[in-house]
Amino acid sequence: MESLFAQLVVLESSLVLIFGLVLLWRRRVPAYVSAFTWQSLVLGAVALTVGWFGRERELYFIGGLLVLVKGVAIPRLLGRMERRFASEREIAPYVNTATSLLVAGLLVLFGYAIMRPVVAASDLPTRAGMPLAMGLVLVSLFVVVSRKKALTQVVGFLMLENGIALLAILGTYGIPLIVELGVFLDALMGFLVMQIFVYRIHSTFETIDVDQLDRLRH
Amino acid sequence: MSFALLLVPSLLSALLALVVRPYRAAVGWANAALSLVAVAGAITLWVRVLRGEVPVAGADGLLRADALSTLLALCVSGVAALAAWLGPGLGDDGWGARQARRFRIFANLFAFTMLFAVTTDNVGFMWVAIEATTITSAVLIPLHASKASVEASWKYVLIGSVGIALAFAGTVLAYFDFVTLIGREAVALNWTVLQDAAPALNPRVIRLAFVFILIGYGTKAGLAPMHTWLPDAHSEAPPALSAMMSGVLLAVALYAVVRWQAVVRVTVGTGFAEDVIVLLGVLSLAIGALSLVAQRSYKRLLAYSSIEHTGLICVGLALGPLGVFAAMLHLLNHSVAKSMMFLLAGRVLRRYGTAEIEGVSGLLRVMPWTGGFFAAGMLAVIGLPPFGMFVSEFALVRAGFAAGRPVLVAVVLMLLAVGFVGVLVHLNRMLYGRPPSTVTLGESSRWALVPLGGCLVALVVLGLTLPAAIDGLLVRIVAIVAP
Repeated sequence: MESLFAQLVVLESSLVLIFGLVLLWRRRVPAYVSAFTWQSLVLGAVALTVGWFGRERELYFIGGLLVLVKGVAIPRLLGRMERRFASEREIAPYVNTATSLLVAGLLVLFGYAIMRPVVAASDLPTRAGMPLAMGLVLVSLFVVVSRKKALTQVVGFLMLENGIALLAILGTYGIPLIVELGVFLDALMGFLVMQIFVYRIHSTFETIDVDQLDRLRH
Repeated sequence: MSFALLLVPSLLSALLALVVRPYRAAVGWANAALSLVAVAGAITLWVRVLRGEVPVAGADGLLRADALSTLLALCVSGVAALAAWLGPGLGDDGWGARQARRFRIFANLFAFTMLFAVTTDNVGFMWVAIEATTITSAVLIPLHASKASVEASWKYVLIGSVGIALAFAGTVLAYFDFVTLIGREAVALNWTVLQDAAPALNPRVIRLAFVFILIGYGTKAGLAPMHTWLPDAHSEAPPALSAMMSGVLLAVALYAVVRWQAVVRVTVGTGFAEDVIVLLGVLSLAIGALSLVAQRSYKRLLAYSSIEHTGLICVGLALGPLGVFAAMLHLLNHSVAKSMMFLLAGRVLRRYGTAEIEGVSGLLRVMPWTGGFFAAGMLAVIGLPPFGMFVSEFALVRAGFAAGRPVLVAVVLMLLAVGFVGVLVHLNRMLYGRPPSTVTLGESSRWALVPLGGCLVALVVLGLTLPAAIDGLLVRIVAIVAP
């Protein structure tokens, strides 16, 4: 039972990380949106798995919320934005695909390195997945700094949040529910504000390429 | 009761602005009056803390105000009141009704999130509140829609959100450590509980957690190298919002760092947190000071000066009890000085129609009072006597020698001197010379000068004496943070 639990969690966490890597080798925004959707759904599944085997009822609720907010609501809004900016592709990111994948590999390794004391401190069956969560956090951070389209950056940010949520679920079986609700509220509000700004960037600059945002350079 | 006085007025003002459409000046006046109630709330907390109490309210220690929280509550409510009196929507200030309404809604929510962040005892809620400050302030940056302000707000919301997310990762790691070693507890995220548990926590995990926390909250505090959003956001935001962002939002983010530093110091021992903080502090000081020299816009000049002072506060935090004392005094001085300066810069911008230093000349002839205050404020910001920042910088230097770090002190003094010269050259150009022919002479909305003059008086008072009430607060803070 214990080993099934551990294996299932590592499998799901790996999937969550792999969906994060999609941002590095695909160029079209629809691919990003579906990668994020699938990632959020698998993350919801992680919450349910940990809730079931770890006997944490609260995690069912968190899992449901993850699926609803990040697996359904946000992807819909993202889809609307993506259709609006269909012509905008991530043509020439600051770092090319091959280098990006290499960097991502190194970042995942780095995630393993810095998480060693954390994994060593834990005796939970879920501990093997935690470095993967850190890997996703670092890779998403890299996506945000190396990509030029505002929409790609938003998806990168959302994946960063997913990485942290995964870390919380695996490491602590979920942070206290009331705090978690606040975090969800912030995530949703933050996304909505970013969405407003992406539309505004588009109407002001007629592109969502943030490389064009260079008026304020001193 | 004190907490209700502190927290409810800003919510009430936001609600009022939300329901009354279209915007009327009465909403602004009500907001201005209510902002003073919040200041009164902070003062009652101050009085109680000086009497030796630690006011607490709500279930599971939801709200708790020790000396550190009280200092921040005073700064935030004070600057929020300044912004409420001098912000868009009162008097003839060139803003439209829609802009005024938006400002009154979000500036009050912004003030509320900051006040809640510094008075909650729960690190989780603190994080939620600080994240919410990004959202509530970002929507106000493009109050005057232009390419530059849209760009600034995008950088701010993206970098700020990513940074603060990393702080959350750090918080989760710390909570993980607590849960692993002590067990799952609903109150595990309370400062008081964390502080008590700190000796039993795993130093290696807490070290990793602190790196994330420092990078995260450091991003919001404008610490280099995560500071790139700050000059843009602070210079493009409307003056009243810049005052709040520079005067107190940076301080609120530093507050989070200081709280965690206190926990880390117990778990890991003195040295680790201090070394990381001083590294980022000196880097910020260097980038801030060197950028001051090359600035062409006076609003960006003020923004870079904020980075410089944040760096200085961080250096103080690493220098033991004397250093923490100096850092907290400096934080107070900076709140007063920088909020005043951004509001004055707003007056200058409105009259001259340009934020370029080149475009401003003869300020003392055009607006004698505004120009005089601006000059005095600049001298205060670069640390000349008889203003408060001279005293706190002097205390910081003394703390450095007492801690046996003469090299650090030398570097800090050198960088301060660079910033000093840079600012003086720019200031000279703005104050004297012939005013451009298009600019009308004489002050407008004179009453606005009264609160700004009040700030200047406060800076002089802090420069000449250290009132017992403030000294008592700072001594208590040192006892909490660096016993």
